[in-house]
Amino acid sequence: MAEIRINCVTKKFGEVKAVDNFCATVGDGEFVSILGPSGCGKTTMLRMVAGFEKPTAGEIYIGDRLVSSPDKGIYVPPEKRSIGMVFQSYAVWPHMTVFENVGYPLKIKGLAKSEIAVRTNKALDLVHLGGLAQRLPSQLSGGQQQRVALARALVAEPDLLLLDEPLSNLDAKLRESMRFEIKELQKKLGVTVLYVTHDQAEAMAMSDRIVVMNAGVIHQIGDPVQVYETPANKVIADFIGLVNFLDAEAGEGGVKIPALGRTVHAPAGLGGKAVAAVRPENIALAAPGAGLTGTVIHKSYLGDTVDWRIELGGEQIRVIAPASAFQEYSAGDSIGLSVDKVMIFPA
Amino acid sequence: MEKPSILQNFDAKWAAIAAAVGILLLFVVLPMLYLIWRSVFIEGSFHFETYRQVYAQSANWKAFINTIYVSLAVTFVSVAVSFPLAWLVGRTDLPGKGFFRTTFIASYMIPPYVGAIAWTQLTSPNAGYLNDWLMATFGLAKAPFDIYGMGGLIWCLTLFYSPFAFITISRALEKMDPSLEEASRIAGASPLGTLWRVTLPLMFPSVIAGGVLVFIGVGSAFGIPAIIGMPAQIEVLTTRIVTYVYLGTGKGVRDATALAVSLMLAANFILYASTWLLARKDYVTISGKSTRPVLVELGRWKWPLAGLVSLYGFIAIILPMGSIVITSMIKSLSRPITLDNLTFRNWLAALHNDQYMTPLWTSFVTAAVAATAATAIAVFVAYLLIKTRTRGRTIPDSLSTLGGATPSIVIALALIITFSGEFGLNLYNTLAILIVAYMVKYLTMAVRTIAASMSQVHSSLEEAALNSGATWLQSLRDIMLPLIGPSLVAGWFLVFMPSFYELTMSIILYGSKTKTIGVLLYELQTYADPQDASVLAVIILFIILVGNIILRKVSKGAIGI
Ligand SMILES: Nc1ncnc2c1ncn2[C@@H]1O[C@H](COP(=O)(O)OP(=O)(O)OP(=O)(O)O)[C@@H](O)[C@H]1O
Ligand SMILES: [Mg+2]
Repeated sequence: MAEIRINCVTKKFGEVKAVDNFCATVGDGEFVSILGPSGCGKTTMLRMVAGFEKPTAGEIYIGDRLVSSPDKGIYVPPEKRSIGMVFQSYAVWPHMTVFENVGYPLKIKGLAKSEIAVRTNKALDLVHLGGLAQRLPSQLSGGQQQRVALARALVAEPDLLLLDEPLSNLDAKLRESMRFEIKELQKKLGVTVLYVTHDQAEAMAMSDRIVVMNAGVIHQIGDPVQVYETPANKVIADFIGLVNFLDAEAGEGGVKIPALGRTVHAPAGLGGKAVAAVRPENIALAAPGAGLTGTVIHKSYLGDTVDWRIELGGEQIRVIAPASAFQEYSAGDSIGLSVDKVMIFPA
Repeated sequence: MEKPSILQNFDAKWAAIAAAVGILLLFVVLPMLYLIWRSVFIEGSFHFETYRQVYAQSANWKAFINTIYVSLAVTFVSVAVSFPLAWLVGRTDLPGKGFFRTTFIASYMIPPYVGAIAWTQLTSPNAGYLNDWLMATFGLAKAPFDIYGMGGLIWCLTLFYSPFAFITISRALEKMDPSLEEASRIAGASPLGTLWRVTLPLMFPSVIAGGVLVFIGVGSAFGIPAIIGMPAQIEVLTTRIVTYVYLGTGKGVRDATALAVSLMLAANFILYASTWLLARKDYVTISGKSTRPVLVELGRWKWPLAGLVSLYGFIAIILPMGSIVITSMIKSLSRPITLDNLTFRNWLAALHNDQYMTPLWTSFVTAAVAATAATAIAVFVAYLLIKTRTRGRTIPDSLSTLGGATPSIVIALALIITFSGEFGLNLYNTLAILIVAYMVKYLTMAVRTIAASMSQVHSSLEEAALNSGATWLQSLRDIMLPLIGPSLVAGWFLVFMPSFYELTMSIILYGSKTKTIGVLLYELQTYADPQDASVLAVIILFIILVGNIILRKVSKGAIGI
């Protein structure tokens, strides 16, 4: 059982609150990502779970064990938490072979040589490094070092695995395939994962749930669909995926969006200035005439799609459409638009 | 037509670089080769007769063995002390560690001979302050310490050369990716287990590198062995060399040459052997965003260890420096240290004494000229190394490194035999030969600093200037030099300060009109005028301190000696 319960944890560095009142639970066998822009406190939170930082306030439970609680004076050091962890820099020891690196946690446990060998080789096979056991890390590529780090984190069969931006040093292609591999491994082993990233695609692709943070504070917790389709606020809408923001005004009878020439139902408690948010893929192009009409400002050919900039009611919006559609339109032309799914936030 | 201007750029650049290389060839390569040549080519024939004769004398052989023995002993003790210190200061929650770190690094700037003078004041068997105090306090009949002996020599050398090891090891510790240690903690290893299995093996190369620095530094040291070893009849190679040179005869110089070549070969052998060894253990690791290291909590050991480290700092720095300051103000050495035995009269007299002020000024001027010339040359050497892709671009840099790695005494001797008219250039007894010597020895400090800074300047900045029509010299003046400005100042000070208090080369190269402050201090110490020696020592320490503060300001704390 490795559920993580983080009860209202705050971490201050001097006067700076790196993490502010963080409350979240990661269920047994669940894959949860902490997602947020650089400097928002993701690493700090993860390191508190690992035991490298001590919270200023709050409690952290791993399973049923209270591992950090400044109030009760409880602090369990990292080596006593039975956690697997993958570091952004891999942290593969350059003076040990791949085998020694991966077998290290078992050796520390004092297992017999033969058992270490069996389990280490099993872990190496798991990450497809079977043939490279006797190499030194300097003879490995970045992706291979990453796998060594992963094998080392898993070899002792921990219930909980922590990963801090493990893929950010890899190139784009490898990053995508490793996403898939890590997810597969997690499913296969049933291990609980807390994963830190600032890459929203990564978080969406792998996570059961995502904790979205900004400036030390949790803004939303939800599954990928919730976070993408019903972001809790403007900041999250902007951070996750592309979005067009349009001026809006909340008043009697709904929210008026001048650029779209329409009024939508207002969320409770909204008044005065507001913003409407529309994802580019929720805007369809059409021949001018029916519905809204805008003017093409610019179009960029991206291969499979075209990225359009269109002026609409005095505002500029972005539309992503299949490359094959509306090829004959160019800058200055009028073009029709139909807008689906509008999100409304306070300004 | 554009062509001529491109050609001009080309010419100015290569002319400047060629001049830098030329100076290095003339003042580094030629003298060293000539030194070796002179030791094996005697009166027209090639033989090793000089070496045979020199080492047939037991005193020389003994000096060689002493050099190795003392260097090894000091190296081992230094590493054994510096590693735990560096770890405590860099990786634990030791109270006051920032202060300790600065202090231990700063102790590197105390001229070793000043340290030797201080320790003779503290622990000479007949009048050492420490001996007197212990005898009075505990009613001892005999002085407990005698600095004049092998133990005293190793003690003093360790205190003043171990900072080499401390600096190397603690820098490497700071550069090491802390997640390497964290990975071990999370894998289940305790802090001490991590230290043993991960930190120590990873630090091995820098421990060796630091050890080699200490070994070569001690083997080439003259000040401490001369002040502490010679009175106890313990000779090392450097002191033998100086003795031979002071004989003033042709044979004396020849014998000195043979000893100097032995010292040079030993030093280079160690250096290359260690480089070779370390090259095979190249622990380059991909490091991510630097995380701050997790500090090991010392728990109940915290305060006892802080006490121990303070004690070391007290013994290594406060005690000797305090002794110098007090001695500089003492009226009568035969009376105890009390307020009415203190005076500023020594100071006033010394400050008005031309025999003291002239060498002070000489050192100031020679060091300033050497630093300026070295900085100028270093700009071109560093440029060639960092900003060009020509073949052989590393050669000038290697030559400057060679100069820095060669024992001072060897450089001095090589310069004296080469530039006493042999090659149409007679610098004997001039300020110029001192300046050249300082430049050769310390140029590498400036090159390192400036090269590090230049490598931060992206080539496109310079290319943009050339594109805008600037010549190479203009772009150097308008783009490169302003951008690396702080490193020029830092480089200048890194040459100026050691040149200012230099002793080992100066003692061979000075003339009656070009006596330097280091030489003067050494004379005062040997002719037993401890008060005046201390006054001058305090002045030197003060100037070094001011220089170091400027250096830290300019480099924003990144560089300091
Ligand atoms: N040891 C520390 N001392 C002082 N401030 C710190 C320390 N560690 C982190 N911080 C500060 O806390 C804040 C959060 O840092 P953290 O490393 O958790 O961010 P992050 O979300 O992981 O960012 P990134 O995506 O860049 O890794 C930052 O403002 C950082 O400067
Ligand atoms: Mg981070």
